[in-house]
Amino acid sequence: MSLKKFSELFGDLDSINSTNNKIEVLKNYFSSNDPIDNSWAIYLLTGKSNKRFISGRYLKNLFSQIYAYPQWLIDICYLKVGDSAEVITLLLKNKSNSRKKKLSNISLNELLSETIPALSKLNEEEKNLEIKNLWETLPEDNHLIFNKILTGTFRVGVSIGLITKSISKLINIDEEIISHRLMGNFKPSIDSYEFLINKNINLQELNSKPFPFLLANTIEDKIFKNSINDFQFEWKYDGIRMQLIKRSGNVSLWTRGQELVNESFPELVEKMSQIKDDFVLDGELLVWNFKEQIAFDFSVLQKRINRKSPSRSIQKKYPIIFIAYDLLEINGRDIREIKLENRRIELEKYFSKWQNKTENNISDIFKICDLIFPKDWTDALTYKEKSRENNTEGLIIKKKTSIYSSGRKKGIWWKYKVDPMQLDAVLIYAKGGSGRRAGLYTDYSFALWKDKELIKFASAYSGLTNIEIKELDKWIRKNTIEKFGPVRSLKPEMVFEISFEKIQISNRHKSGIAVRFPRITKWRKDKKINDADSLDNAYALMKKIS
Amino acid sequence: MRTKKEYLIRYKDGNLYCDLADIWIDPNKPVKKALITHAHFDHFTFGCEEYISTKETAILLKERVGDNIKIKTFEYGEEFKINGINVSFHPSGHILGSSQIRFIFAEEKWLISGDFKLQNDETCKPYEIVKTDYLISECTFGLPIFKWDESNKIANDISKWITNSPEKTSLLFCYSLGKAQRLLNEISQTNFKGNIYSHGSIHKMNNSYKKLGIDIKDTIKIENKKKIDELKGSLILLPPSLSKGSYLKKFKNIQTAFASGWMSIRALRKRSGYDKGFSISDHADWDGILEVVKMSEAKNVFFHHGDSEALRKYLVEKESINVLLFGK
Repeated sequence: MSLKKFSELFGDLDSINSTNNKIEVLKNYFSSNDPIDNSWAIYLLTGKSNKRFISGRYLKNLFSQIYAYPQWLIDICYLKVGDSAEVITLLLKNKSNSRKKKLSNISLNELLSETIPALSKLNEEEKNLEIKNLWETLPEDNHLIFNKILTGTFRVGVSIGLITKSISKLINIDEEIISHRLMGNFKPSIDSYEFLINKNINLQELNSKPFPFLLANTIEDKIFKNSINDFQFEWKYDGIRMQLIKRSGNVSLWTRGQELVNESFPELVEKMSQIKDDFVLDGELLVWNFKEQIAFDFSVLQKRINRKSPSRSIQKKYPIIFIAYDLLEINGRDIREIKLENRRIELEKYFSKWQNKTENNISDIFKICDLIFPKDWTDALTYKEKSRENNTEGLIIKKKTSIYSSGRKKGIWWKYKVDPMQLDAVLIYAKGGSGRRAGLYTDYSFALWKDKELIKFASAYSGLTNIEIKELDKWIRKNTIEKFGPVRSLKPEMVFEISFEKIQISNRHKSGIAVRFPRITKWRKDKKINDADSLDNAYALMKKIS
Repeated sequence: MRTKKEYLIRYKDGNLYCDLADIWIDPNKPVKKALITHAHFDHFTFGCEEYISTKETAILLKERVGDNIKIKTFEYGEEFKINGINVSFHPSGHILGSSQIRFIFAEEKWLISGDFKLQNDETCKPYEIVKTDYLISECTFGLPIFKWDESNKIANDISKWITNSPEKTSLLFCYSLGKAQRLLNEISQTNFKGNIYSHGSIHKMNNSYKKLGIDIKDTIKIENKKKIDELKGSLILLPPSLSKGSYLKKFKNIQTAFASGWMSIRALRKRSGYDKGFSISDHADWDGILEVVKMSEAKNVFFHHGDSEALRKYLVEKESINVLLFGK
């Protein structure tokens, strides 16, 4: 089966808006291609790996070098297209007369298991030659896929849920099973595909895999009509959502992004291995302030996430904790189908047993989440408002009678998030967007007053409607003071309400503060720049919280 | 170098203007005398005292806006004088009747390209190479990322797009004058043999083309009362203005596409809201613009209608051609 088929699939998925049609197209692809190509297709479509073999910049430089093409011209084109792989694909159309060689017809499997891995074994000069060779021998229709895989930017509007649905339809097996089979590592091979489409369900087969995560929905007003006693209340932590699995004695830590992160948190693996029972826990990993019994900011946790085999001193400096909020499996028995309130009883029972029976104290790295007991919904609101004091993001509300299903199922779990903090700031820079927003100015920087000067304090690119984006883009082009490459400095005139979740001191920024998840919540056309907030207002916000 | 006042043709109030002839080219406001390159509405405005164009452009314009305009017409290649300046129209290959306009005064030649393309199009006269000293060229697609495929390839893609979804009604959006007729001509040569319907505005232009001797495939004018079942598997041509709003609600089970050069960029395709984009244009691509600049043998080039930064720099650096900027 050729790469061409996969390119066609990509084209189809890219140009179909209806979910049902996408599922149909995927189903047809899977039923008419080799298992090995199918496994690679799933690997790419689910974003299991977006390994970058070369950077977008490298790709552009290489094209410029091979065809003696001016770099500045590629850069201008990039501003319009917003994606290096696509720019080069479009520019290669102009080079079609340099194709003398016979067009090769390789399969997706050959490309991904042989051709591209072989590239990384070559020295730079050989590698460049080989890429040129591939450009000139691969059929033109395949250039985009090839360039995107090379630069690790292969993305198409397909979710894991869609893949799950299409395979479920293909073999007529329940989605939950397929979804479970797709969890965790997925190594493209004939076996991994055959495992996925196996019609016999053997629960043992799923031993190494986490369960599909159950996700919370945003709170809905109708929930307030129910009795408060129907729900369990927990703090919403801002850490890494994780399933902690111990099966047949082996501990594995799976993030919601389906990454196995044992190596980053060896102290947790070690401690949990000492527990005699097997189990699957759902919970949150945090860096914990043991003195005050609250979590550190996510920014502290980031110092641990990407560090494999952390030293003892790092482990000590950033002590982690796993806070379990659910028990999904105990000693091989899947208990996801029993009610939450009963699972909680089991969780508490086992936790106290483990605490007593484990030789080393496990509670310095593992605890179960505290429950909150608001008297009524007004009381729940009061708890939510207080959540910043203990560094949480609000509350999670769970229906006591609910079972643990998968995905963002409605009517089971809700997040009741604390209202964001807001400041009115002045737009001072804009930068061209990339991807879908190419050719428009969509990345904005905002400033606050310090005496008579505007100091940049945050960048944001989300929150405006498409119509507002177009309007603002027009304004930006007319009110540019200076251009620096893709960035324009602007006449200070427009005021926006910026919302964010956290604010803290930062010596990396001129403003002295850093905010988390800044986004635009309102275009304040009613405000003049003198009405915008000052840095002092921002400092005051910071004081109010701590 | 001359000051901008001394050029035969210059930019005045956002339009091309010739002082000596006291005539405007495709003005966007009412003036006394206007030369019209072609019958698209972004090149025409009501209220001018007198229009001058090719015969075909005049007929198409009158079909679109009524007989109440005063138009003087000339054949392609026919020289006429305005205030002592020799002027002539030459085919530009954009749509039926479209023209480049040449001015000659005191041995100095000026050429306004109008909108043009070099690609094959059986519904209009092909682009004519005209030599000039000064060239004023459009540059709508003035970046090397624009490289058009042969139009029969696009037509085959469209045919496949329709026939692959036989249970659907395929709505293809395109400009009603020029693009629609070119597409009809190309699609009639593919394997697609189903019914083709067209919106009233397109249907009208089809008839005008036929009257002017262009062979255009017959289409069925889309009526409000058409039964949904009859439309299954067929192609409907509609103007882009109908793509948003309630018009589409009357169709069931549709797929939509837009035929435009801009559709070669994925981000624009995605933003456009159509299911699919077919990259076909009646303007020149990057290579086309460069070829025209070279073939015209112009020593001095101006660009308008588009972002010309890349072309300017490229021509100066690579081809040593003098690219001038209009003063505002």
